[in-house]
Amino acid sequence: MSATLSESIDRLDAAAESRLDSLLESPGDVGILDEHAKRELRRAILTAVCVPGYQVPFGSREMPVARGWGSGGLQITLALVGADDVVKVIDQGDDEGVNAVNLRRLVTETTGATETTEVDEATVVQTRHRIPEDELDEHQTLVLQVPVPEPLRGVERNIAELGRMHAEADYSRMWVSLYEDKVRNGVITKSTGYPCLVGGRYVIATTPIPRWDVPRLHHAPFLSLFGAGRERKIYAIPPDTDVEPLTFDDVPFEVERTAGARCALCGATEAYLIEVPPSVGGAEDGRWICSDTSWCRRRRATDGDA
Amino acid sequence: MIGASPMRPTVLRVEQLGKIFGSQDPAAVAQTGPDAGSEKSPDGSSVVAAWDVSFDVASGEAFGVIGESGSGKSTVMRAIAGDHSASAGSVWMQRRDGSTSDLLTMSPSERRALRVDELAVVYQDAAEGLDLNVTAGGNIADRLTAAGCRHFGQIRERAAELLERTEVPLDRMDDLVRTFSGGMRQRVQLARALANRPPIVLFDEPTTGLDASVAAGVLDLIRSLLEELGIAAVVVSHDFAVIEMLTSRCMVMQHGRVVEQGLTDQLFEDPQAPYTQRLVAAARA
Amino acid sequence: MNSQQQDAQPRPPVLSVRGLRKHFVLHNVDGRNVNGLNGVDLDVSAGEHVALAGSSGAGKSTLLKCIYRTYLPSAGTATLRSPTGEVELTALADAELAGIRGRQFGYVSQFLRAEPRRGALDIVARAGVARGMDRAVATEAAAVSLRRLNVDESLWDVFASVLSGGEKQRVNLAAGTISPPQLLLLDEPVSALDPANREAALELISDLTSHGVAVLAVFHDLDAMARLASRVEVMRDGRIVESGPPGEVLHHLEGVAR
Repeated sequence: MSATLSESIDRLDAAAESRLDSLLESPGDVGILDEHAKRELRRAILTAVCVPGYQVPFGSREMPVARGWGSGGLQITLALVGADDVVKVIDQGDDEGVNAVNLRRLVTETTGATETTEVDEATVVQTRHRIPEDELDEHQTLVLQVPVPEPLRGVERNIAELGRMHAEADYSRMWVSLYEDKVRNGVITKSTGYPCLVGGRYVIATTPIPRWDVPRLHHAPFLSLFGAGRERKIYAIPPDTDVEPLTFDDVPFEVERTAGARCALCGATEAYLIEVPPSVGGAEDGRWICSDTSWCRRRRATDGDA
Repeated sequence: MIGASPMRPTVLRVEQLGKIFGSQDPAAVAQTGPDAGSEKSPDGSSVVAAWDVSFDVASGEAFGVIGESGSGKSTVMRAIAGDHSASAGSVWMQRRDGSTSDLLTMSPSERRALRVDELAVVYQDAAEGLDLNVTAGGNIADRLTAAGCRHFGQIRERAAELLERTEVPLDRMDDLVRTFSGGMRQRVQLARALANRPPIVLFDEPTTGLDASVAAGVLDLIRSLLEELGIAAVVVSHDFAVIEMLTSRCMVMQHGRVVEQGLTDQLFEDPQAPYTQRLVAAARA
Repeated sequence: MNSQQQDAQPRPPVLSVRGLRKHFVLHNVDGRNVNGLNGVDLDVSAGEHVALAGSSGAGKSTLLKCIYRTYLPSAGTATLRSPTGEVELTALADAELAGIRGRQFGYVSQFLRAEPRRGALDIVARAGVARGMDRAVATEAAAVSLRRLNVDESLWDVFASVLSGGEKQRVNLAAGTISPPQLLLLDEPVSALDPANREAALELISDLTSHGVAVLAVFHDLDAMARLASRVEVMRDGRIVESGPPGEVLHHLEGVAR
């Protein structure tokens, strides 16, 4: 009996040691999420892909970044990437934003993935509030950090009622808010996070991405995953899905455009431009520059070659 | 049948509707009602708010339910509206597609869908039928968009048309309903209720709480609308004048039961039940 | 006179009342029983004006109200006939009765019952629309009728609630007689009118019968009966006690009817 018992204990010890060894060899696994957490996240992601636009609840983990600082997007990225992946992270279009740099370092150091600032090299692009100007393809995944996943938050606070409204596709109050916006202001002023109907069924908040990016979600070839860490929700837009901004038939949806605006750095007019004080970014001769910094940089490099 | 009869199809039929609050003990039914002098069971565990209530309404007809508070009239209205469930009976409704459905067996979401364009309710408290923090036009837009309208110009046009019809000054169309007087709120509520031309409208004490002169105006308006639109209406009120002006047939409720049903003028001029006679005498005094 | 009356086969009466009884049970006055009608038989044909005479309390208004079902008859029948069929009014379901009221047979009381905040022209025109008239035609006919009854044109769009008693009564008569149904029950329709307006009203009522409407009426004065009635039915204690042409019946009623 005792011999058997001690043999068992030895076996268990050996198993534990070998597991520890393997964990130490694969720093990603000891890093931030264990395999169990990843599996749970992947299940939530799969559900989200199966029901486009539906907000899937998940058990949001504590992250080394505060909730509200990209913890939702980070968890999705960590559940997706392995050592073979190439990751790009942008913050408002900028690869060099402090938040982007920190998240990128965190992902690559704990998963073994490599980093890039070039869209065409990336397998996963994690972003806060922009879609890169370059077209992503069907092999790439866009991960969006979402502060407020509930598009109806502005018209209803009650959680149960929100659930009912989505369940019954009862979006009339959202329409009323658009109606009132238009009545009060002559136009629909809602700028970022414009509500969209996904797959003809669920209305989503398009995170605070600018209107400029909204039409690019419609029938996009790539998969978009939205993660809200604080609100513990994941939702998705699978490739080739209808994404229609909510607007009236006689009030066309329009993207941001300022007459005559062009990037002070690369001269682009067909890109999302942001207004900056004259001295920033070397844009002394103008008040607009591209929001997507790597895209802008590449354009300048190409122009230089030409 | 005489000539080309003006009889129109029955669109709402309430059959043996019952609602018991608290313990659902069927014994409570026999222990309550006008004979028992109360809608509460002796042990206090059940309130038989309404029992064995049956009536029908044709399109173009207004049916009244009159009674004192606690008589069960509002319970009947709310059970038909789907604001609360019923304990017994059926509420058959002629649908737009010609089929017939029992509202009481519908899921909450089906009933809500019904409220978009087939069955509207005008409440005593405008806050129940309106979003006070939205404009008059927005409250109408809510119903129109719920029915699928996505054309801003058409929504504006239809909202203006409805507000004009319910005598709300058009320059108030874009004001928050919160800033409206009680009478004006009821008019907006009417406009909203009629937005999608529902064949059935329920009115729950539509003028109670308004100043007499304001109430008279709203009553006038409701009567014209009923005349013009050919809708089937159920009007619930404790006020004889309201029932008399709006309905051609009605019933009297007391302690959760129907004590008498008939032509409205007959009920007021030749009441049969002792309770109705008392009620009429008190109203005439 | 109506040309149909010359047909070999006379048409059956528009209204036939048989054995009509009404008793009231006053539950709140010791359950007391009060007899209103004690078995009334009566016919009214198209183009006939039948006047009910008798002292107050004899049952004249009770009879009209029982036929119209404002009172629930206790026993007996009241049959309404039209070229296409007949209905038993005392047995008709409430909803069906409500459906033919005003359209197949009308009741004109001495009081105007209308929305207080509606104008006279609108009230009368709506009554026409309710009987199937086109709105424009009804408005035109309403104007003709109001003019005929000397209702001042400046009052046509004033809320009816502010009109005088006489004006209201004339508006009520105009509304009750526009595009008239085949049977009209008139309950003291000119009681509040001064002589000139009363004259115009009586002429309008006289025209009804010459256009084939069957009229059953209660007037408080014998002069109106003498002028309008083709037959007078005298009531006492809820029964008809005498019947005949006004010339034969009315002379020994002097002093009784008032």
